[in-house]
Amino acid sequence: MSDIPWDLRRRALKDSLRHDKRVKEAIRQNLKELIAEENIITSDGRKLVKIPLRYLDQYRFRFGQMGSGTGQGKGHVGEVIARDGERSEGIEQPGDQPGEQVYEAEISVEELTHMMLEDLALPWLEDKEAQQITTHTYNFDDVRRKGSMANLDKKRTLLENLKRHAAHKEPKVGAFRDADLRFKVWSVREEHHSNAAVYLLMDRSGSMTTERKYIAKSFFFWLVRFLKLKYHTVDMVFIAHDTEAQIVPEQDFFTISNSGGTMCSSAYRVALEHIQQYHPHARWNNYVFHFSDGDNWHDDNSHCKALVTQLLDHVAMIGYGEIHYQDESTFYGWGTSFNAAWSTLHTELSTIAHPRFNTVAIKQKADVYQALQTFLGGREGAGSLSESGHITPSA
Amino acid sequence: MDNPRFDELRELARRLGLDFFEVMFEVVPQDIMSEIAAYGLPTRAGHWSYGKVYNRQRVHGQMGLSKIYEIVLNNAPAYAFLLDTNSEIANLLVAAHVYAHCDFFKQNVYFAPTNRNMVNVAVEHALRIDEYIDRYGLDRVERVMDIAFAVDRHIDFHKGLVRKSYPTRQVIERERKIHTYADLFGEEELSLTKVVIGDHFPPHPEKDLLWFFAHYAPIEPWERDVLEIIREESYYFYPQFETKILNEGWATYWHAEILNQYPGLSPSETIDFSVLHAGVVNPGHPMSINPYYLGYHLLVDVERRWDKLYAAGKSPITGRQKLFEIRSQDNDLSFLANYLTQELADKLELFAYGYACEHGPQGTKKCQKCGELTVMSRKVEDVLHSLLAPRYNYGVPRIVITNVSDDGSLLLEHERNDRGPLDLKYTEKTLEYLHELWRKPIHLKTFNNPGEAITLTCTASGIEIMK
Repeated sequence: MSDIPWDLRRRALKDSLRHDKRVKEAIRQNLKELIAEENIITSDGRKLVKIPLRYLDQYRFRFGQMGSGTGQGKGHVGEVIARDGERSEGIEQPGDQPGEQVYEAEISVEELTHMMLEDLALPWLEDKEAQQITTHTYNFDDVRRKGSMANLDKKRTLLENLKRHAAHKEPKVGAFRDADLRFKVWSVREEHHSNAAVYLLMDRSGSMTTERKYIAKSFFFWLVRFLKLKYHTVDMVFIAHDTEAQIVPEQDFFTISNSGGTMCSSAYRVALEHIQQYHPHARWNNYVFHFSDGDNWHDDNSHCKALVTQLLDHVAMIGYGEIHYQDESTFYGWGTSFNAAWSTLHTELSTIAHPRFNTVAIKQKADVYQALQTFLGGREGAGSLSESGHITPSA
Repeated sequence: MDNPRFDELRELARRLGLDFFEVMFEVVPQDIMSEIAAYGLPTRAGHWSYGKVYNRQRVHGQMGLSKIYEIVLNNAPAYAFLLDTNSEIANLLVAAHVYAHCDFFKQNVYFAPTNRNMVNVAVEHALRIDEYIDRYGLDRVERVMDIAFAVDRHIDFHKGLVRKSYPTRQVIERERKIHTYADLFGEEELSLTKVVIGDHFPPHPEKDLLWFFAHYAPIEPWERDVLEIIREESYYFYPQFETKILNEGWATYWHAEILNQYPGLSPSETIDFSVLHAGVVNPGHPMSINPYYLGYHLLVDVERRWDKLYAAGKSPITGRQKLFEIRSQDNDLSFLANYLTQELADKLELFAYGYACEHGPQGTKKCQKCGELTVMSRKVEDVLHSLLAPRYNYGVPRIVITNVSDDGSLLLEHERNDRGPLDLKYTEKTLEYLHELWRKPIHLKTFNNPGEAITLTCTASGIEIMK
């Protein structure tokens, strides 16, 4: 038997890295669909999420599922031994079970967020005003000969020891001297932060179904993640409204029960008051996003417009997302999409020509991606974006 | 590795009639074992798909879901890898098992054409592919490999690895006797007839898709070489595919026989051995067949039956001699078809299963029984059919190239009496792969689930399906 240093011949690691790279590519190519993936949106605090990828198959000519095979054991002819989807893993009938082999990739939410950012080409949202908070961060970024033993840099110390011995033609790690010791040293860096407050406004009237809320939820999920990358603290204020608006805790926001009619202005009013009181424009970057199905009381629309115009003086951006789709089938993209007419609320709001006010329509899951792009991606090129102050994505 | 007991086992195996190449044993850690299992041939060129298998294998190994005790490569000398956490008795079992595998590699007729220097050939392949990666970039080389792997089982084992190009079109004159027995009647007149050869392209339905594309597709020399490399490795693995049950059965039969006759086992080792052996031949999951289990019991049954015949003077050879004959001559198809009896099928409680209703696997329920898998039959012919069907033709659909028309478009045909309809999504993607090589339209005649003929056409603008 030869003494092969197995650890030095790790070619599988190379191929497994290549595979990982392909997984990343597959994720990147399918961000639009993944953006509303339930696993991710509901990942509450979990760092790693599993996402199904149907794009890593190695295609070949193969039979459609036939479900036949050979088994062994008791059971009279005609006896049911399994049902679809009940077969346990690990059965390998050669070429017999194409089935659904969905590859599940594990990826951190953070990495996914970065991918999204890259792909969406989102601008790092600008700092607005005075950078009012200063924090100190400590980085170990230097090495010296003197220092506290607690900060001993063991690796470098070993190397120095080895070098010294090697210089005496004895390449080994031997007795240590003070001259070998190396210590990690830190430096202090001052960082200025600005803060952001996000106002999430959502229609909770009877017409906002669970699916519609889910769209709002996916959007908010990513939005908050992007903002957290930029700002030291992100305050979130959740405002749910029907005919009246109130500030609710996050956990209630998406599950809150449906009721009554709709008066969107109520939410804008609460937001405005809250901003003036707690997040003054001079010190906070405020973002207001409102999701509704646009089914607003008709005579409320002009109030909304007035309030939005007023709010624009206090905030960095206002986004209005209108979720309307016929039924589930068009939402998931397999039904015939129809060209939904904008609601009167939208018509009213779209007359506001302001570079920091955007609207989008969401007709299906993948449009969440479009919404993020419109709301967050558009600011840099606001001039070219819209003369009328909004864009209407063709979904 | 130096284990004097391995030498004793080797000599015992030889005395019992096994004939094998030298075996080089290597003891490797779990990770390396996973790696070798993922590659099949540890020295071959890398590909991301091995990384995928390796990741899964490694995780399974670490979690104790699947443990690979041993891997042996068909090569001269043979290489056998043992897991470093194997107990001594596990290693003895594995060594005996490996000697029998190597005997099978050397003596079974289906392995005769395999390259016994494949471990080194694979190294050369890997070096060439590395060179192509340097020259043409990883993405391009990987792409060609992806395409080649999509059809790597579409080879023609009987035509062999090395083949001549088709004859070019020419008219030749051939002598023909006036009638068949003319010479017997002294009428030796011959007539000359004109025969056109190479008129139809390809001259016969072509099964070896990889060879065809490597030779006739408008691709660059290095791309041809990548296809040929993968084709050659596929030929190397083919005999292992078609003798899985027999080969494992043979190795299991012999590790039991050798260790039973080996005098060097202590009583406690004998018990440990029996436990291990019982684990190897356990029936496994009720809806799949453990090849060790089936192969082993079938061989034991044949030996018993032929011993009986021999004793009764009805067979010139003993049971053991019969087994050696089977090991030399059979593959899984012939082994099962010739020797599986109703009695043994009953004893092993084998059955064929399938969907209870004619709707088959479908998303929506059409009747009460939809989606239910039931025991279909315990008759030996049905059990045989269920065992053999997936072992035929390298386990892939029978697809042949039947025509290249004047405009260069290629016609593939899926044989009508094949096991079943194709997975359409996969078929479309595979046709797109092939179109990348062929660049002209490709048609595939096949059939759908109700059995209607359909034709898929792949052009630069995509796939069309026509009834």
